[in-house]
Amino acid sequence: MNELSNRSRDIGEFVPQPDDDMIVCRCEEVTKGEIRRAVHDGLWTIAEIRRYLRCGMGLCQGQTCAKLVKGIVARELHVSPALLEPATSRSPMRPVEMHVFADETEDTDL
Amino acid sequence: MAGRIAQHPILGVQSENKKIVTFRYDGKEMKGYEGEPIAAALKANGVMVHRYTMKQHKPRGIFCAIGRCTDCVMVVDGEPNVRTCMTPLVEGMDVRTQYGVSDKPFSEQ
Amino acid sequence: MKIERFDLIIVGAGPSGLSAAIEAAKHGMRVVVFDENAKPGGQLFKQIHKFFGSKEHKAKIRGFHIGEQLLAEADSVGVKVELNATVVGLYQDREVVVRMGDEVHHFKGDAIIIATGAAENMVLFDGWNLPGVMGAGAAQTLMNLYGVKPGEKILMLGSGNVGLVVSFQLLQAGCDVVALVDAAPKIGGYGVHAAKVARTGVPFYLSHTIKKAEGTDHVTGVTIAEVDSHFQFIPGTDKHFDVDTICVAVGLSPMSQLLKMAGCKMEDNPKRGGQVPIIGEYGETSIPGIYAAGDVSGIEEASSAMIEGRMSGVVAAEYLGFMTAEEKAEKLDQLNQSLDALRQGMFAPKNRGKKITETEEGIPVSESLLHKGFVADDEIERYPGVTHRAGVHPVIECTQNIPCNPCQDACKKHCIRIGSEITSLPAVEPDSTCIDCGMCVASCPGQAIFLINEDDGAGNAEITLPYEFLPLPKVGDKGVALGRSGSPVCEAEVARVRSSKAFDGTNLLTIRVPAKYAMTARFFKTNAQQKEAAE
Repeated sequence: MNELSNRSRDIGEFVPQPDDDMIVCRCEEVTKGEIRRAVHDGLWTIAEIRRYLRCGMGLCQGQTCAKLVKGIVARELHVSPALLEPATSRSPMRPVEMHVFADETEDTDL
Repeated sequence: MAGRIAQHPILGVQSENKKIVTFRYDGKEMKGYEGEPIAAALKANGVMVHRYTMKQHKPRGIFCAIGRCTDCVMVVDGEPNVRTCMTPLVEGMDVRTQYGVSDKPFSEQ
Repeated sequence: MKIERFDLIIVGAGPSGLSAAIEAAKHGMRVVVFDENAKPGGQLFKQIHKFFGSKEHKAKIRGFHIGEQLLAEADSVGVKVELNATVVGLYQDREVVVRMGDEVHHFKGDAIIIATGAAENMVLFDGWNLPGVMGAGAAQTLMNLYGVKPGEKILMLGSGNVGLVVSFQLLQAGCDVVALVDAAPKIGGYGVHAAKVARTGVPFYLSHTIKKAEGTDHVTGVTIAEVDSHFQFIPGTDKHFDVDTICVAVGLSPMSQLLKMAGCKMEDNPKRGGQVPIIGEYGETSIPGIYAAGDVSGIEEASSAMIEGRMSGVVAAEYLGFMTAEEKAEKLDQLNQSLDALRQGMFAPKNRGKKITETEEGIPVSESLLHKGFVADDEIERYPGVTHRAGVHPVIECTQNIPCNPCQDACKKHCIRIGSEITSLPAVEPDSTCIDCGMCVASCPGQAIFLINEDDGAGNAEITLPYEFLPLPKVGDKGVALGRSGSPVCEAEVARVRSSKAFDGTNLLTIRVPAKYAMTARFFKTNAQQKEAAE
């Protein structure tokens, strides 16, 4: 058991903050308040929060907000950000249109 | 052209040997250099807002300039979500402000 | 679907990726480098300042020239660089999926080197999404690659080397930098980078950060405020600036997602900038045949990235049998020495976060430099590069131990001594003869060397300073001399202007001031420029 797996731990009540409506995930327009609220709703991992709020799932795939989200979640959980596992990395690493992704050419010789 | 560095103390005249092309921004005629990113041409023409966001309808512009953040996307030649900082400018291009994922203002969507 | 095989696939054609490719190709490997950009070189072509280090690290050469050299070398050994080629996935058995144009291609590498570099960090503040707020790297891209001004009036957040260097470059592009702000109480980057910005009159606000970016459709202003030791705003300390652009330079994070996707063991290592692969001495990840080089394995300078790249290329070559173990050991030994030399001094990775109070020579560090961006007039005399004598002589305002020694090589009269440790502070040899050639002034990447004749016999002093701005003042121009802090100290007249190919873009401006200002006047503005700045 560590601080993250210990679900008996009390992280306190959600306390509204003046900057809760600040956008954190620029692509999906997810706010700081929504992320903090999600932690208090019981979502303690970055992967869960990503699926719950879509932060980091927009066009840029979390290039800008991943570190910011991690910091906010860690603060809410009273743990070091280093403890939090970042979200899964998967293809495509950059936005690729479906018609391109499906276009598997035969002729690859460079 | 306004917004351009006419002469740079280290890089000299950066526009040397570049071909000027005409493109349209929201229907308005503008000039830029062929092959430079659309975003650079818009910046040189004083355009700050590239799109308005889907949920909150907030303005966005150039943020990373290297194709990572996707904040500078616009509707280019009818195609939405085109990263203007990575897409080279060509003669006659049609560049439009993106509202959500459309080139129509929210009131008309 | 067809899969094409390569001995080595490299992702990223920046300084480390290209260096790795060169080493591998030299040893007969079939190598391809994929890069998502339209041009190779990574961030090197945006670096217009002269690099630090010693000769072997290409010191005093401007970054974009190093980029050109690297490309020429890659070309000469037959490295194939595929541009506009975005690696979208790295799968089991080192299969690489690449988007090229409107198609997706599959490749297999017997070895893979990931050299994807880093992305800029951000901080949250009210209005950070507004058009006009951008990464410092974005500003650098616009002005140095595309010749477009990022803005007219700009505030820079971040005093690390990126924030300092980009601030200077903004000034070179003709932009007005209204303030340089950092939440930390101390300047993060090299003192010499800060000093060359400060003396032009840019104010530094340490222990300050952005409260709000103002504007409805785009940035029209910014409010900053002082923060306490817990980074909380102190009421009543708000300061407002009219700006159209805010640049953010608050560090870099490795772009290590491909390595994570491939299943390499990762760790969160704040000293290396965030999520990084757990690697061996030469970039070996937990998966045999997959290596990481450059910023993706830990944030450092381009100079070290190039060496790391070469190391990973050598290791990959030996792994696949293109080099003997003995050859590898010999190569790595050389490269190690070169890398070690760069990783010394006050800013070495091992010293990150440490409070350093004195130099290697036992001289107290300049507190003013750390907190205000310039060495105070009453601190400067204690450094070995600052001496006095009759006639023209170099005054070297280099006060921190950084790995750099071009000044020592630049002086053919051996006036300047650094010695074998390239981090030592340069000292002026007491019995040497300065011939006023100006090579030391032009060679210093920190622009910290001045040639001074403290008394010309007529009650004036002549100060030769490095000048990399336009318009270049002309002989006879009258104006003001600014001190290290950027405040006016006295009237000044341009006595001489020197430009030469050997100075590589650095002009030497000699100003004449009353003799008593010989040790305080360090920059020049014409009366018109000073009037404009005052408004």
